[in-house]
Amino acid sequence: MTVVVVGAGVAGTAAALGAARAGARVTVVDGGSGASTLWTGKVDYVPIEVTPELGALASELGVVLGRSILVTTNGYPPAAFGHEASLLDLHAVLAKKPAIGVVRCPRPGWNADGIERSAGEGFFALDATVLRHADERLMADAELAERHDDDARLGWLAERLREGIARSGITPTGLLLPPLLGLRQSRAADLAKLVGVPCGEAMGLPGGPCGLRVEAARDRSFAAAGVSVVRGRARGVVREGTRWRVDVDGETLAAAAVVVAAGGLVGGGLAYQPSEAMEAAALPTEPRPPFACSVGGPLPLGAHGEPLDVPGSLFGVPPEQLAWPLARDPLMERVGVLAAEDGRVEKGLYVAGELVADRPRTWLHALSSGMRAGAAAARDAEGLTSPAESTGPTGPTGSPGSARLAPAGAPASRP
Amino acid sequence: MGIVPDEPAPSLRPAPAAMPVAEGPLPAGADEYDVAIVGGGVNGTGVARDLALRGLKVVLFERNDLAFGASGNSSGMIHGGVRYLSSAPHVTEQSCRDSGYIQHIAPHLLFRMPFLMPVKSSRQARVMFELIDAYFRAYDDYQPLKHGKPHCRLDPSGLARLEPGIVGSFVGGITFDEWGIDGARLCVLNALDAQLHGGRVHVHTTVESIARAPANGGGDAGTSDRSGGRYVVEARDRTTQEKIRVRAHVVVNATGAWSPVTASVGGLPQARVRVRPGKGIHVVLDRRVVNYGVVSETIDGRQIFVYPWQNVSVVGTTDDDYYGDLDDVRATSEEVRYLVQGVARVFPSIRAARAIGTYAGVRPTLYAYGPNEDALSREHEVVDHTQDGAPGVYSMIGGKLASYRIFAQELSDLVATREFDASTPCATHRLPLPGGERVPDALALAENHGLTPVAGRRLVYRHGSIAPRILERTARRPSEKDVVCPCEPVIEAEVRHAVREELARDVHDVARRTRLGLGACGGMRCAARCGQIVAEERGLTPADGHAMARHFVERQAAARVVAMGPAQARQEALALAHLRASLGVGR
Repeated sequence: MTVVVVGAGVAGTAAALGAARAGARVTVVDGGSGASTLWTGKVDYVPIEVTPELGALASELGVVLGRSILVTTNGYPPAAFGHEASLLDLHAVLAKKPAIGVVRCPRPGWNADGIERSAGEGFFALDATVLRHADERLMADAELAERHDDDARLGWLAERLREGIARSGITPTGLLLPPLLGLRQSRAADLAKLVGVPCGEAMGLPGGPCGLRVEAARDRSFAAAGVSVVRGRARGVVREGTRWRVDVDGETLAAAAVVVAAGGLVGGGLAYQPSEAMEAAALPTEPRPPFACSVGGPLPLGAHGEPLDVPGSLFGVPPEQLAWPLARDPLMERVGVLAAEDGRVEKGLYVAGELVADRPRTWLHALSSGMRAGAAAARDAEGLTSPAESTGPTGPTGSPGSARLAPAGAPASRP
Repeated sequence: MGIVPDEPAPSLRPAPAAMPVAEGPLPAGADEYDVAIVGGGVNGTGVARDLALRGLKVVLFERNDLAFGASGNSSGMIHGGVRYLSSAPHVTEQSCRDSGYIQHIAPHLLFRMPFLMPVKSSRQARVMFELIDAYFRAYDDYQPLKHGKPHCRLDPSGLARLEPGIVGSFVGGITFDEWGIDGARLCVLNALDAQLHGGRVHVHTTVESIARAPANGGGDAGTSDRSGGRYVVEARDRTTQEKIRVRAHVVVNATGAWSPVTASVGGLPQARVRVRPGKGIHVVLDRRVVNYGVVSETIDGRQIFVYPWQNVSVVGTTDDDYYGDLDDVRATSEEVRYLVQGVARVFPSIRAARAIGTYAGVRPTLYAYGPNEDALSREHEVVDHTQDGAPGVYSMIGGKLASYRIFAQELSDLVATREFDASTPCATHRLPLPGGERVPDALALAENHGLTPVAGRRLVYRHGSIAPRILERTARRPSEKDVVCPCEPVIEAEVRHAVREELARDVHDVARRTRLGLGACGGMRCAARCGQIVAEERGLTPADGHAMARHFVERQAAARVVAMGPAQARQEALALAHLRASLGVGR
């Protein structure tokens, strides 16, 4: 039986791999870039136990978990509970007497001298040639990062950095670079080997290469685990007897269980719809909470464990009561689909990641909740697989591409 | 916040019988001034400049930052007073003539702002249209004074051609010409010019007492003996907590909506300087969504506008009585809704436009009980406190940005002749403000210094003939050409200039002077960098710089939230995530 996962961000990826490794056949609906694509590479601390499985999954996606200290492109050193592998972790290099070379590079948003000043003791601006072609001064971080997927280019960069170090007369304990260390995968370790000094990126603005590297890792894992991907937006999840149907842009997918991990406000899984935006002169037609789930279906929105109230005004809830920093308890930070601890909304329907109400909006939570929801969905799907059902296409709307037989080796249904 | 402690305004206590007498040693020498001015808005800085140009020694105290109140949060217009045309045509003439003067002294700071007034179809619309046409024909007579163009009468198709966004049934429309200005920069330039002419300006310095100098210090209070001022003004720098004590012969209270607070600090009856505080808010849209300022009507019949201003569009304004904290005036979503609904009546696509922020200020309108806010006079008035037992203390009440120079001249004429026998005539309409001498060609300047044309143009707009001097620095330090704020754009050298030369102390101050961080990203891309530069210039730690940046971004977010639409909500969520990641803020 198929588990359909809506969303291909961190939570969706974890759900898909979790379900696939629990023996399910998995189809992922990928609606394109979302919040995970914009990820800056910092893992915030959340009170979640890091099991060996969780650590392994993170590492598979190119993310190192554990206490770390990063450096932002503004020279601020945030403490973190992990990071994308390309980022320089000061925790690892600060042990000795630090001398971290901040590599000068004429690109907007990169100011090595500014970082040297802001980060304080132990940092020095280092002159080295980083850019090879004129167009690289202004291109996006991700494009420049992609050029360093090439081994020859990385070798060239290592050569220039070694020259720069020699000229400076200082032996650095680490090198801090702009976000450029590869797009297919992190080249930080490779570069460190070539230069002989730990190398890493500073943490940049949302939309840098970190999120894209995780997506590249995701695609490799999907291919290895046999997860199939359907491109499009999931419009709705519909219960059909004991099974589910997921409508994707005119196509339908049949599923034994569904995990919805369509993202929160940034990713687009949750929509903020203030009443006024509907029509110009007319009154809003009904008082309604100003949030909606972008995937239709039995996905009740709520916060604080309760469903959203009908507001006392046709014009909805004033934004001062919704959003940081004016709201005392910003609804925008809490609202989501009400679900049990493992993400279960009802039998066979799960949510994960930022779409879940009342949970922290962090990378680690997305990963952990996705993994649990995926595993639970696989169990539900497995429970549905009886010999009679495993012999033919599922239901009238099942498309042949997505609803197939359970894998031959799948165990029979559990009680 | 880490840098400037937030503290409540001094409370309005019952007025003592008379102004107290100062204790302790009297300030002398460098701490003696002819005139002490309280308030760094356009009135205070305008008077400071006027008196300094007449050769008087002035000191100015501003509790927050220059242009912190109404002056920096106005509609940003030097208008010709068209609304007074029928009731008081001399006011219109005076306003138009003064608009011409301001163009002469700060040519770089003004930009043409044509307005379009659509006339809705209704039973009397044809008559109304003729009346409006005639009204503006009369206004045309004054246009040459302010280099404005005569009005145009448009038929419905002409209206649609000029501003396709206007939707509805109209008998036609009228255009008229006004000038826009950056009010905050106007204040800063006046303050800087006062300093150039021997004055002293203290920002972030709150006046804690105004007292009479003891009789044996230098003649009785009340004599016009210039040796040794009659008053001792005590102030405290809110950043460093340093006390400042000066002696002055004349004290001017130019604190706008704060006037009663200032009066009470000096032991003067607050009722004499009573204002009716009128809160006005503006909503800022991310770009120029209109070609013209479009006039519309709110649900209660008030005129409001959506107009292109610098590189954004602004919707304004409201007018409501305000009794809250003057140091923390904020727009509410109610007010935003009121404005947007008013504009949407003629310009419905305003609902699809993206609001990136709001700003709010409190007008110091003359006190009157009874009339509704709009009917209140924007006239100004000088209160002489002689009858309160404080000769030589004056309060400036009311006024508006467009007439600041006249008001300053009126008060300065009075002070100069009555208190100092100074016969030097007013020169504020003749002598250019700093940067207004000879405005350089922005494009040539940008090319010579390797800036983008937009960055060059914006720099010249703000600094006029000083722009080349700011760029000179970059010849020695090319990295200062880096654009810190991509929305505006503002280069690093300009941020440093604001701190070194323009009295900026934190990111808010830099934003007021350069519009850094007031664009679409709300400071997300530039506040941290700006905070570092300010901290470095002021010899503070990087952590102070981060705290400053965080404070700015949070304030901006608070001002933006109330105008939040669907797209904005997503950006806010992302912004919060980014803040959490990069500046260590959040929950």
